[in-house]
Amino acid sequence: MIGQSRVAELETPGAAIEGASTRPAQSYWNESWERLRANRIGMAAGVLILLFALIAILAPLFSLLLTHFQPQTIDLSATFGTPGSPHLLGTDELGRDTLTRLIWGGRVTLGVAFLTVAMSLTVGAGVGLVAGYYGGWLEDVLMRLVDMVLAIPAVFLFILMSILFRPNAITLAMIIAFVGWGNVARLVRGEVLSVKQRDFILATRSIGARDLRLMVKHLLPNVLPVMIVAASLGVGQIILVEAALDFLGLGIQPPTPSWGNMLSNSESYFFHSIYLVIIPGVTIFVTVLASNLFGNAARDAFDPRLK
Amino acid sequence: MLVKYIARRFFASVIVLLGVTLITLVLMDRTRGTYVPGIDLNPSLRPEDIARLRADLGLDRPFYLWYLTWLWGALHGDFGRSMIDGSTVMSHILDRLPNTLELTGTAILIGLVISVPVGVIGALRRGSKTDHGLTVISVAGFAVPQFWMGLLLILVFSVTLEQHGLPWLPSSGAYSAVNGGDFLDRLQHLVLPATVLSFFYVSVWSRFIRSSMLEVLSQDYIRTARAKGMSERRVVYLHGLRNALIPLVTLIGLELPGLVSGGLVVEVVFGWPGIGKLAFERALQYDYTTVMGVTFFAAVLVIAGNLLADVLYGVLDPRIRYG
Repeated sequence: MIGQSRVAELETPGAAIEGASTRPAQSYWNESWERLRANRIGMAAGVLILLFALIAILAPLFSLLLTHFQPQTIDLSATFGTPGSPHLLGTDELGRDTLTRLIWGGRVTLGVAFLTVAMSLTVGAGVGLVAGYYGGWLEDVLMRLVDMVLAIPAVFLFILMSILFRPNAITLAMIIAFVGWGNVARLVRGEVLSVKQRDFILATRSIGARDLRLMVKHLLPNVLPVMIVAASLGVGQIILVEAALDFLGLGIQPPTPSWGNMLSNSESYFFHSIYLVIIPGVTIFVTVLASNLFGNAARDAFDPRLK
Repeated sequence: MLVKYIARRFFASVIVLLGVTLITLVLMDRTRGTYVPGIDLNPSLRPEDIARLRADLGLDRPFYLWYLTWLWGALHGDFGRSMIDGSTVMSHILDRLPNTLELTGTAILIGLVISVPVGVIGALRRGSKTDHGLTVISVAGFAVPQFWMGLLLILVFSVTLEQHGLPWLPSSGAYSAVNGGDFLDRLQHLVLPATVLSFFYVSVWSRFIRSSMLEVLSQDYIRTARAKGMSERRVVYLHGLRNALIPLVTLIGLELPGLVSGGLVVEVVFGWPGIGKLAFERALQYDYTTVMGVTFFAAVLVIAGNLLADVLYGVLDPRIRYG
């Protein structure tokens, strides 16, 4: 005889697994955050970048309290010093403290990088959202415009714009953003095209939501993950670009320090002090590496299938 | 159907090219006031002389006239003359182009030769120490500034080795001006810049091949092949690798435009006489005609490369043609 209890078990499965815990339902963002937190390397990388950014913002404070030097203080009696006290990372050809210049240079380089990312994302996402949402001829026109901007090899555009508009930090950010927004636009448009298909869009439209509301309140949050990943990876790439431009003399001009032009300065003086060549380069490397690691971690957190 | 697709893409490319020229010339237009370097600096020139000179040179014509004239010339391969030395821009470009192609072509070759084995090994030994090590190197390689790496390599291989009397590598130029020019000499000069340039390719492509291999190896037909009793070697290389390389082909195709413009920083650091260095030098000397010509040339290559890639997609994947 089949035990009544067994039938009862089969009919009320909840009773059989009583005592088993059930995970509460979590939102997509919470889940992603949990996944990101579990990725220790990614988190460490992210913390590192935040730390650098913080140091850069508080540069004057560091100058005052930690190193006791200003970035432009020339001291010809202490040129090419090796790391030690009082110059924790040595000095350059004019006796300026390397650590101080590194911190202030970080202000410029990181400032340009974050500003550029902010601008690229804003313009690129705007164009991508509109193009993807409306489709039709508007999408064609906008995407052709993106093609045009992306067709000019970035390097040449940089050179052209740098000789035309003597760049300070802000115009440099605008120049780099001018080249970069196209990729963001393409990325966002692709995401919008795939999100557009989902039912909730149709549902929202059917209850009368207007276009702008749909784009901002419903499409944008779904496109954000892609944008966040692009932003994280972008910071690193832009740091490399900015450093290269400074190195070539097309970006931030000395004596304002930036990580790139510290390296171009050091080119002539490596006989005297190898630290001048190594220190800014390592800083750039570490920062870009951190940005890449964090970007990869963010990508894995938002879409684990792609791992 | 394919013809229609190609025609559509071609038409779009032409529009993009026109747009590119417009953007570049608009940027250049900002400089027309001082189009001739030094014209405003000569103190003995009166304002009416300056005006007359500008009229002579056609600098006061409206923008659209200038744009159309330049475009007409460009379509015939005539980019005008360099403002610095008077020889035609096209001759400059053709002079330097082979050098650039030599450098970037070698870099791509080296990149392929190294990244394929690295990617395959990473995929086959997924999760092992080897894989982790290779991944770390790839990720790190992506973060190194090219000019810094070039600088360091020059310091080590050109300067330091020479100081210690060891055989050293040259740090600039494509060949020695003295007693040089033969194959071995050119090869010597090629080593350092090509290494720096290929480092980036290796980093990106090895990761790509690894993930592509992993994806292919998890497919059903691989399982079938193994179940049939095919040797693991054949499965991996004959079926796996061949299919994994297909996406790489398109990736390389997209790199084609970079053949011309990608090596600029490396060219400048190593003094390599290529197109990138030409554009850079001339830009600093305000030689606008040359910079414009090079930019247009590079843009044409980018657009042609994209068009080629699109056409290849259309040929390989019939779904695209009807989209």
